[in-house]
Amino acid sequence: MSANGKPRSIASTETFSCVRCGLTVAAHAPDGVRRNHCPSCLHSLHLLDECRSRMIPISIAVLRTGEWMLIHRCTRCGELTSNPICGDDNQLILMRMAVRPLAQPPFPLEAFGDL
Amino acid sequence: MPRRKPGRERPQRPKREHHGEPGDAFRCVGCRMDVPMSAPGTAHRNHCPHCLTSLHVDHRVPGDRRAGCRGRMAALSVTVRGDGEWLIIHCCQSCGGLSANRIAGDDNALALLRIAIRPLSDSRLPVSALLAL
Repeated sequence: MSANGKPRSIASTETFSCVRCGLTVAAHAPDGVRRNHCPSCLHSLHLLDECRSRMIPISIAVLRTGEWMLIHRCTRCGELTSNPICGDDNQLILMRMAVRPLAQPPFPLEAFGDL
Repeated sequence: MPRRKPGRERPQRPKREHHGEPGDAFRCVGCRMDVPMSAPGTAHRNHCPHCLTSLHVDHRVPGDRRAGCRGRMAALSVTVRGDGEWLIIHCCQSCGGLSANRIAGDDNALALLRIAIRPLSDSRLPVSALLAL
């Protein structure tokens, strides 16, 4: 039984299809947490505020606890949200977002080699 | 530090409202440094160039002063816009709201870089996936 009283077997058969890549995804991750983004392309849907637009992943944040958070921006209203990553999220896309700032630095990074 | 790709920036929204006298200064809530409002490279400075801390006063549009929170906002992460501009994502410590702001020309490069490399510095699963390529 899950926390809301429903049998877990019923809750875990619930699915949604990704708004970007169309993948049919189980609504609950293997560890039982409810997903809010597609594990393949990491895109999400803005369900709060009745917006229902696509949310694109823009950045990775690392909390003090060491947990990784995925930051999404709504393509329609510009709202930012943060959600913890799942264990089965696409790790290449996660890493691509993590290294993207360093690929386009606004200042030369050579000076930091001397520090 | 100078920008690496000058001339490719998006034109900025002109600043209409001036809070207080133009050329005013504010005191950082994080490190108590007096910061002048005028900044190189941006008309919308909202964070301290030394410690990157901000204050939760604006809602959506920079300068609208429609957030009643006034909590301290800590720099959470860095993201890149399509034209190569870096944005700092701030997280409000009292209400948990997020906001994004372009970096200014005099922002502390070491502090920015520390935030940017934070995901790469912990040796957990995603990094090992990259090393396995």
